[in-house]
This record gives sequence, structure tokens and C-alpha cells, in this order.
Amino acid sequence: MSAAVPGEEARWDALARAAALRREGDSERIDLRRLVSFELAGTPYALPVERVREIVRIRPITPMPRVPREVLGVVSLRGEIVQVVDARRRLGLEETPATRASRVVVVYGGDDGVAGLLVDAVTGVLPVAEEALRPASGEAALVESLCVQGERFVSVLDLDRMLALDGGA
Amino acid sequence: MAKRRTRSSSRSKADREFVSEAEEILERMRRDLADLADIRAAEGEIDPDLINRLFRSAHSLKGLAGLFGFDPVHELAHHLEDVLDGLRLGRVLLCSEIVEVIEQAATLFAHLLQSVGDAEALAGSGDALAELQARIEQLRTAPNPTPDGLDALDIDPAMLRALTEYEEHRLRENLRRGRSIALVEASFEIISFEEGLAELTSAVREIGEVLSTLPAPGETPESQIRFSLLVASELSAPAIASGMEGAAVRSVSTPSGGAGARARAERALQTDSAAAQAAAAGAANDAVEESAGEAGQPAAPVETSSAGGESAADPAELESLKSISETVRVDIRKLDELMNLVGELVIQRGALADLSGQLLGDARTSRAGGDLSKIQKALDRKLRDLQQAVLEVRMVPLRQVFERVSRVVRRLRHELGKDVRLELKGADTELDKLIVEELVDPLMHVVRNALDHALEPPEERVAGGKPSEGCIRIEAFQRGSHVVIAVADDGRGIDVDTLRSRAEAAQLVQPDEMLGDKELLDLVFAPGISTRSEVTATSGRGVGMDVVRHNLTALGGVVEVDSVRGRGTQVSMTLPITLAIIQSLIVVVDGQRFAIPLNAVQETLLVEAEAIQDSEGRAILNLRGDALPLRRLCDEFGLRPAAEEAKRFVVVVGMGDTRLGLVVDRLDGQQDTVIKPIQGPVRAVRGIAGATELGDQDPVLVLDVSTLLADAGTRMEAA
Repeated sequence: MSAAVPGEEARWDALARAAALRREGDSERIDLRRLVSFELAGTPYALPVERVREIVRIRPITPMPRVPREVLGVVSLRGEIVQVVDARRRLGLEETPATRASRVVVVYGGDDGVAGLLVDAVTGVLPVAEEALRPASGEAALVESLCVQGERFVSVLDLDRMLALDGGA
Repeated sequence: MAKRRTRSSSRSKADREFVSEAEEILERMRRDLADLADIRAAEGEIDPDLINRLFRSAHSLKGLAGLFGFDPVHELAHHLEDVLDGLRLGRVLLCSEIVEVIEQAATLFAHLLQSVGDAEALAGSGDALAELQARIEQLRTAPNPTPDGLDALDIDPAMLRALTEYEEHRLRENLRRGRSIALVEASFEIISFEEGLAELTSAVREIGEVLSTLPAPGETPESQIRFSLLVASELSAPAIASGMEGAAVRSVSTPSGGAGARARAERALQTDSAAAQAAAAGAANDAVEESAGEAGQPAAPVETSSAGGESAADPAELESLKSISETVRVDIRKLDELMNLVGELVIQRGALADLSGQLLGDARTSRAGGDLSKIQKALDRKLRDLQQAVLEVRMVPLRQVFERVSRVVRRLRHELGKDVRLELKGADTELDKLIVEELVDPLMHVVRNALDHALEPPEERVAGGKPSEGCIRIEAFQRGSHVVIAVADDGRGIDVDTLRSRAEAAQLVQPDEMLGDKELLDLVFAPGISTRSEVTATSGRGVGMDVVRHNLTALGGVVEVDSVRGRGTQVSMTLPITLAIIQSLIVVVDGQRFAIPLNAVQETLLVEAEAIQDSEGRAILNLRGDALPLRRLCDEFGLRPAAEEAKRFVVVVGMGDTRLGLVVDRLDGQQDTVIKPIQGPVRAVRGIAGATELGDQDPVLVLDVSTLLADAGTRMEAA
């Protein structure tokens, strides 16, 4: 989608660009990052806003054979066919059926393509200072960093690792 | 000759394109002119469609020349269009002088086209141009009193008033010829009325002329729309009625049921005694010509060779039989055939690759296998080039579509009383011809929506601090293997609150449901949702954006909407550059549908379970003496097998010499499918070529027969 499009995508575009600019230099300013936060099994998780293209309601998923079990199948996004990864399964969390609050977070994967991530509910966008992010310990490889929100930790997922499912088929 | 060639090669691509299209129009115009001359020579009746066609040719030529900024052609076409318009509306009488002038214009057009890119030659024809235009003007404005007398007809005056000038002219003309006039009325479902109406219209055309098609007043159910067709025919109303099923036919020219009324109507119309005699005698003589004869012009066929005789340029140079452009027009179906052949070659290629693999695997033949493999790879490359070349032949620029859109916008601008500027960008973007055709309606719909709904009336815009002139911007550009066409306006934007409440009323959304902006906006594509309450003639019947989405999805495209309240709306349509529509057989396994490209299906069988033999752990079917290896698709894809039944469905797929029977639960018919790539973390899945949508939302996976065959083959050898 080009930057000429008004609305949500353009806003996200602009945010992503601003974030990239900030990362490049200007260390004196407070670095703010925006995270899309969502819930999985009652625990808050997040992804950088610039990796999120859109959030859609759950829709019929066509199961796909010969793929790792984390890939639930494919959905149609206005004509685009996109695989959906069950985030709970991917993280090894307890599995429950989807509910009305369930959403598919459509994220930019590598190579221009997109992927869907099934989550329990999307809770909002968190502005987080770069300093508030702490690198996660090595054992939970799918979590990139943690950030403190009041009394809770929000786990920021490493999207590329989350989507590294190819080759296992 | 040599001179001409240099001239044409010095032309820009745009010039060449213009000349090629203009020549085509001119060719058509000449054909029609020749017909016109023939009919006049035979003193036959001039078909109004012939004049209409000539008018349209002049109009197209004008539009084309305007678009390319070729002023002399534009100007001349404009004058010609005026006089032809007068002719078809009956304001100007058809006489030999007019025919002569049109022929001269055609000759001059040809000359002008030859001079494209040559300023000197152009300047030389300036005098001829001015002279001819002056003559056209003079003929066009010559007085021609038209009689009146439609009051005698039994038609609602409101309907008479609704007729255009042309339709009125045709009505008079038909009355004068003593034909009966009837009203044919029929109701259609709103959703499919275009089809029904087209059927009725073509049925009427069999027996007469459709003078006008108007929406009819009166009681109709909510979901229906009623039309009145004003029809002229040699047949009487009851005879017309016998051919029309489901339509009401009422005679309007013979209200008292006798010939007297018709004669009265005729008398009222015929002020000119010569014409009256002609009509009364039932002569096929063209009465318009009679009038022309009175004006002192002999009604004789005009010799084409005299055309342009007095103009400045040399006639020999004007008339060149050699076509200037080097373009060939080809029937799109021939290109489809070519495409299919290429597709079949691509499938055969797989068999060759398999063979070279087999030869390579055997020590005795590995040398030949290596050679074959090289040849096969070279063939592969050429095949890809061929495929690409065939695809490119089908590509056309969007310019023509844009042109049609601007015409509609110009027309609607006046009807709706809105000030609007149309900005077009990317007219050179190319798309498959078929996609361009399919794109026209959805694009038109979106543009009409923008004009009718999105753009506010000038007063409202000024009050809102916007310039009184609205702006619709259509931009097309290529992105990867897709073309994006975005229609943006600076109108009021979509009112998401209203949209939401309508969606709730239609129970598409629950009141407590959280929806993002994008999801809310996406509701405009839901069936039966419109943001405007009143229905206008232009758009807004509630069958709209959902149809746009449906049509574009069927083409393998995507449509999205973006809007900022008070600022504007943008509708983006993304379409594949080329259509890869293929026929597929739909099969069902474990309740899930799969599509098998039909070009890989050899036959489908319903076999008895006993006919399936077990040979060394593999299922084999004896098919007319040959052993056909079988695979159960449920096993291949880890699905649940169906309950044991006496009969099984087997789809025999094959490419080249390899064959395989796929056992499925049931067959679900054939469908046109557009194979789309699957995006996501798992890049390639063996046995799956992509996915397709079959009208409903769930994607259906398309089987990759070539890998299924290959897998079955390798396993067979291993066993």
C-alpha cells in the first residue's frame, strides 16, 4: 500500500518510518517504541507496530496438509491467501478454542509476504520507551524482550523466530 | 514510399498508437459510408443504426484525437460529429451533398493521419481543412422545419417528454412510415434486470425497433423494477405480443383499434405532400431524400473519386491503400487458444524432465540422459519466453478505460450539478485485455459512487472550507505482478458511525463488538449496505460495493477502501496483470474441498471397491487392461478416510505418460479458478500449487498434480 493512502495504514507507515529514523541516530531523545499488545492465555504479549499490517476478525480457516501443526491453515484476506499460525501452539501454551474476541494479527513476514497470527484478543497499542525494554534471557528464544507495564511484564515476541516454521514439513 | 517509411519511423510511440487506433475507426467509417452510398443507390431505406455508427465513429475519433492532442483531426471530427448528430436527430436532412462532405472528411482524415509527425505536410492541408469545416457548418445549420403531431398517440405525455430528441425523431420517422407503435412493459428482479432487459430488447429487435427504454411507473414489488419499451414495428400489437413472454404489450398508435387512427396520426405528421404520397404508396423510397430533392439536389450516388478533388493536396497522395501503421488486430479468442497451447506445452515439459531424470539414473543411459537434460533445460527457457511473449501480446494500456471514465464523469457532472475535476495518472499502465474489460464496470461503479455520494454539492464544500470544485483522482501503477488502480476523492468521506449502525441493523455486527477502523470501513463491501438512504439514478441501490468486490475477487483481485471523515475516500483495486483462469475439478475429501486443474485430469471413474487390487502393498486398479496406481488423497494429506463404501470415486490425473488415480470421497463439479499464491511462513508445500476462492470466503487448496505424480512415481520405484 502506498504512502498516499490516508488512514490507518499510512499512520502505521509513518510510525514505522519515524521509529526507523529514531533508531538510526538522535540518541539524546527519548526513544519511544509502539507495540501492538495482545493476550495469550491471560498473559500480555506484544509485537512492534511496524510489523503489523492489520488486525482482522477470525474467519473460516481452511486446514492445510503437510505443514507443521502450528500452522492452522489458510484464510482469505480480501482475496489474498494467507497462512495463519496459532500463537498459543507456537509458544507451547495451553490450547483453547477461538472465541468472539479472537483476532488474526496480520504481520509482515520476510520477502514482502504477510502471515496471520491467531491471538486471544488484541488489547491496544502501547507506547514504550526503549529503555523500558529488557532483553529476554536466552532460554525463551521466541521472546525478544520484556517490558514492564505497571505490575506486569509484557513479552515482546521475536516475530522472525515465531514465523520460522519452514523446513520442518 | 521510402519517404513515408522514414516519416512513420520518426513517430513517437504515442503517435503510432494514435494512428493505429484512428485508422481503425476511419476504416469502420468508410465501410459505413460505402454501405450508405449503396443503399442510396438502390433507393433503399437508411437504417438509423448506420447513421448512429457513423456518428459514433466521428465521436470516437474526436475523443481519441483530443486525448492525443492532435488538433486538426480533433477539430474536423468535432464538426463531423455535429453534422452527424443533426442527421440522426432529424435536424439535418440526408442529401447527397452531406454524403459527399462526409466522404471528403474521411479522405482528409486519412491524409491527416499520414501527416502525423510531419509538421510541413500538416500545414499544407490547413486550407482544405478550413474549407471543409465551413461547408459542414453551412450544411448543418441549414433550416429544416420539423412537423409535430405526436399528440395523436396514446402515450403518457410525461413519457413523451422523457424522450430524447433522437428518440422523438425516430418515433416520428416510424409513424411517418406507417408502422405501429406499441409499449412493451415487463418487470425484472433488480439484481438481474440487466440480463432480462437485454433479452427482452433483443427479442423486440427481431420484429422492430426499440425507440426508447424507460423505467415504468406503477406497482412493483420492492425487489423488482419495471421497464417500458417504446417499440415500432411493421407488425400489429397483438402480433408483437405473441412473441413476448412475460411482457405486457399495448398498442399506442391505434388507440381505437382501427387503421383510421393511424392514418390520422400520419396525416398530422405529414405536412409535406411529397412525403405523404410516398408513405401512402408504401414506397420504400427514402422520403428524406425526397425532401432533399426538392431542395434542388439530385439524389444520386456520389462518386468517391471526386472527393477532395478541389482541396489543396494531391488526391493521389490522399488515397493510399497501404495501411500506415504496422499493427495487427487479433481476436482475443485466438490469443486464448495460443495461451492454452502454451499451457499444454508447459505440462508436457514435466514428462520430458521425468524421462531425462530416469535416463540419468541408469548407468547405461546416463550419457543420453545428460544430453536430454540439457535440451530439456534449453527448451524450458524458450518455453518460459514463449509464455511471457504470449502474455505480453494480450496486454493493453488502461488509456481506453480512462477515456470512458472521463466521458461518464463529464456527463454526470452536469446531471448531478457538481463541480469536479478528474485527474488521471498512469494511463500507460498495461493489463491483460480480458481483465481490462472486466474492470470497466467495477471502476465505473466506484467513480460514480465518488461523484454521486462522496463529493458534496459546491455550496456544502465551500461551507466546509474546501474549494467548490471537487477532485476525483484515478491513479494506476504496477506493483510486482499486480496493477493497482486507486480512485481517490476529496469528498465527505465515509461516515463510519452510520455504517456501523446499518451493519448492526442488518445484523452483520453485534452492538458490543469491537471493530477497528479498517474492519468498519470494510463493511461497505457487505451485501445490502449503502451509506446513502435515498436511491439515485446514478448509484446507491445497495447492490454496489459487494458486487464490485465479488467481481474483482473473481478476477483474482483485491479491493480495499480507506476513508477519512470530511477529507475523502480512496478505493484501491489490485488486480493480477494477467488472468490465469483455469478450469478445475472440485473434489471433496473428509469434508474439505480441493481443486484439481482440469488440464491434468484424464477422466473420472466410479469403481467397485472389489476392483481395487492390492499389489505388494500398493493399491492398483485394472483400468481397461492397464494397471493404474491409486493413491487415497486422505492418506496423502493426513485426513480421515471416508466410511467404507461399495463404490469409490477415482480421478485419473496424468501428465505425459505417468498416470495416477486419486481416490476421493466425492466430486463437486467443475469451476473456473484463479490460482493464487499462498503467503505465510511455510513457503512451498508439496502437492499444493496454491489456493483459489470459489465465490464464498473459504479458500480452496489447488492440488499440484505434477508433484503428486512425481512422488507417486519415486515411491513406486522404491517399493
